[in-house]
Amino acid sequence: MASLSLPSTGAEPFTIAVLDDELAALQRKLALTTLPDELDDAGWAYGVPLADVARLLARWKAGFDWRAQEAALNADLPQFRLTVEVDGHGALGVHCVHQRSAVEGAVPLLFVHGWPGGFWEVRKILPLLTQAPEGQPSFHVVTFSLPGYGFSEAPKKKGFGISQYAEVGHKLMQAFGYEEYVTQGGDWGAAITSRIASLYGGMYSKAWHTNWQDAIQPTPFNAPLRYVRHALTPYTPAEKAGLARTAWLRAEGRGYFFEQSTQPQTLGYALADSPVGLLAWVYEKLVNWTDAYPWTDDEVLTWVSLYCFSTAGPAASLRIYYEFAHETGAPPRATIPLGVSYFPKELVVLPRSWLRSPHIVFESEHDSGGHFPSHEKPEELVTDLRKMFGKGGPAYGVVTGRKGY
Amino acid sequence: MQSFKIEVRDEQLERLKQKLALAILPDELEDAGWTYGVPLAEVRRLLARWQDGYDWRTHEAILNADLPQFQTEIAVDGFESLKIHFVHKQSEVTGAIPLLFVHGWPGGFFEARKLLPLLTQATPDQPSFHIVAYSLPGYGFSEAPKKKGFTLSQYAEVGHKLMLALGYNEYVVQGGDWGGRITQHIASLYGGKHCKARHTNWPDVDSVPPTLSKSPLKYLRYSVTPYTAAEKAGLERTAWFRKEGMGYNNEHSTQPQTIGYSLADSPVGLLAWIYEKLVNWTDAYKWDDDEVLTWVSIYWFSTAGPAASVRIYYEHTHNKGTVKLPTVPNGVSYFPKELIIPPRSWTNSPYTVFQSQHDSGGHFAAHEKPEELVSDLRKMFGKGGPAFGVVKDSPGY
Repeated sequence: MASLSLPSTGAEPFTIAVLDDELAALQRKLALTTLPDELDDAGWAYGVPLADVARLLARWKAGFDWRAQEAALNADLPQFRLTVEVDGHGALGVHCVHQRSAVEGAVPLLFVHGWPGGFWEVRKILPLLTQAPEGQPSFHVVTFSLPGYGFSEAPKKKGFGISQYAEVGHKLMQAFGYEEYVTQGGDWGAAITSRIASLYGGMYSKAWHTNWQDAIQPTPFNAPLRYVRHALTPYTPAEKAGLARTAWLRAEGRGYFFEQSTQPQTLGYALADSPVGLLAWVYEKLVNWTDAYPWTDDEVLTWVSLYCFSTAGPAASLRIYYEFAHETGAPPRATIPLGVSYFPKELVVLPRSWLRSPHIVFESEHDSGGHFPSHEKPEELVTDLRKMFGKGGPAYGVVTGRKGY
Repeated sequence: MQSFKIEVRDEQLERLKQKLALAILPDELEDAGWTYGVPLAEVRRLLARWQDGYDWRTHEAILNADLPQFQTEIAVDGFESLKIHFVHKQSEVTGAIPLLFVHGWPGGFFEARKLLPLLTQATPDQPSFHIVAYSLPGYGFSEAPKKKGFTLSQYAEVGHKLMLALGYNEYVVQGGDWGGRITQHIASLYGGKHCKARHTNWPDVDSVPPTLSKSPLKYLRYSVTPYTAAEKAGLERTAWFRKEGMGYNNEHSTQPQTIGYSLADSPVGLLAWIYEKLVNWTDAYKWDDDEVLTWVSIYWFSTAGPAASVRIYYEHTHNKGTVKLPTVPNGVSYFPKELIIPPRSWTNSPYTVFQSQHDSGGHFAAHEKPEELVSDLRKMFGKGGPAFGVVKDSPGY
């Protein structure tokens, strides 16, 4: 197997070590927090309830122990930093997690996060993927903080779009010696792994799995047979619920998307300067996008702190929306095998027959779970990956010499 | 009814200073310009001025000197009574026309400032006006409603009841942005008997794009007659606004509380959120830094706080209803850098008696082009004008 010249310098071990000064600065800001009022009986209708924010703020000020969370993250996630050259954008310091399985022939898997997620979303699935029980495939797992997120540098130039994020992910896998690999991604991770599949699919990326739907309603023009079938077959209760959820989020839950896609810098000033503002902005999604997931306050605060303490600051994380919205042209669609897991509280939940890709080899439907399945439903997600890539599965053996056993 | 002076407390000034001292600014992409939002250099400069050089007390004193202000309690059907802050300046001319000026977001009562001396002055050839400009509930120094469902009809009710409380049984209204929609509601709910005419610089209020089914002749005419250069530019501006400029609108309309935490807690965040509009929505208006900071400070120091001001978007989006088309005389002024600029013939009001087209000016017409706006009102309401004498005892002279 010809090996590529490594496009990056060696990976150096990395531990999260937020400076004492930063912790102190955060506390000074929290101490000066000004909270707004709230309408009577507002509930969640107008946004995050005041009681939730007040409670989280109080915990953040006293009780939440960042150092303990930091230590736990470092213990659970073997992290590294390496430099990746991105065509047209120069060298970027990329923070990543890399956990090899004891099984040499484990399948190399790249996990890609989105917004407001991060590298830590791989935490619960890491041990399950790398240490499979007898008869189940194991994986070598790589994930990275997208440029502008976590402890990766942010791009400096305009136009760092989905193809660039895809390039980083691909080059990372090459740097770790995984010439061929598979991917898993949701949210921006879905768009990025889709791009990896279309840019590097076949030769490098051999199959991809997502929990995101890429579907459009069939019309008589774009999919006449599917359209006719849909006109005749009534929706199942699950499909009805999914369509209702999709419609609700489109009507009520797109403000962040619209602002981030058009004026990310304007919003960025608020998120960079107000920890409570950032908390509300992110927490609203953690609740609205999940399926009754029992968030603990410390879990939320760790998640938000990771945005607060990110190398590039929270404003940088928004730019991916702008670049995607202003992208011109699109690469050819992916043709490698695709697996899709459906969770009922994902943001877009459309009837399964609406899915566009003719390359779907694996589908699985769940009756609970939302937008962050690796965090909400780690066992279910891992089970799906094992079924897809394991012996007898539709994507078994896609990676040369690394079949998972 | 009591006279009112803006008097921000020392602790509020101190707290703002402390927050500014701790401000954290984000980075920025190279050569970003205005493409991604407000440029970092602009915010940096304004922040530096806000911390050192800008003197709120000076501007507070000027506002109090220029704008005679009052506060009164207005009962709102189905809601609690609200203390409403307003400007009231009477002309020397006893027969002056009572005019209610209604602002929007991120505007305020202070938008009437430049109009005041012009509209109230006594000139023999021009009509004079008595001016009332209130802070909408949740804005400026008015209280905010506590209950859900405070819609444009309620904002309209407050304005109407204020005019009655001041002894103006008959009056005319002027407004842009939310003020355009609220004055439409006032004219619809109280038109004829009380509201005698309305004028707006928000032409979208009465505009409906012609469709083949609803207005075939208009539709067909536009299929063969090309748009004028001004109309084309207007449609392009509208398309830009809809594509790149409505993120704030969508967030306000769906999750106002969520964005509210940022606006209430970060003066720099609030500054950027508002300043982007002050620049993008105006026609090369030469903002002075202190002018911007005064505008933003009023939001920062407002009675209800900045988070309350964005709820109007949510309430309107979720309680649209249909407002009966007002039947009182209507006037519309078109400014080329307004945000939504429909072709003039798209107006669906058969009561439009006055239209004017300007070749400069944007969304904040009263602030950017006070003389032009005043000239339009004088033409509309003056002797020989299409709305002359609508208020019987107060023809303006």
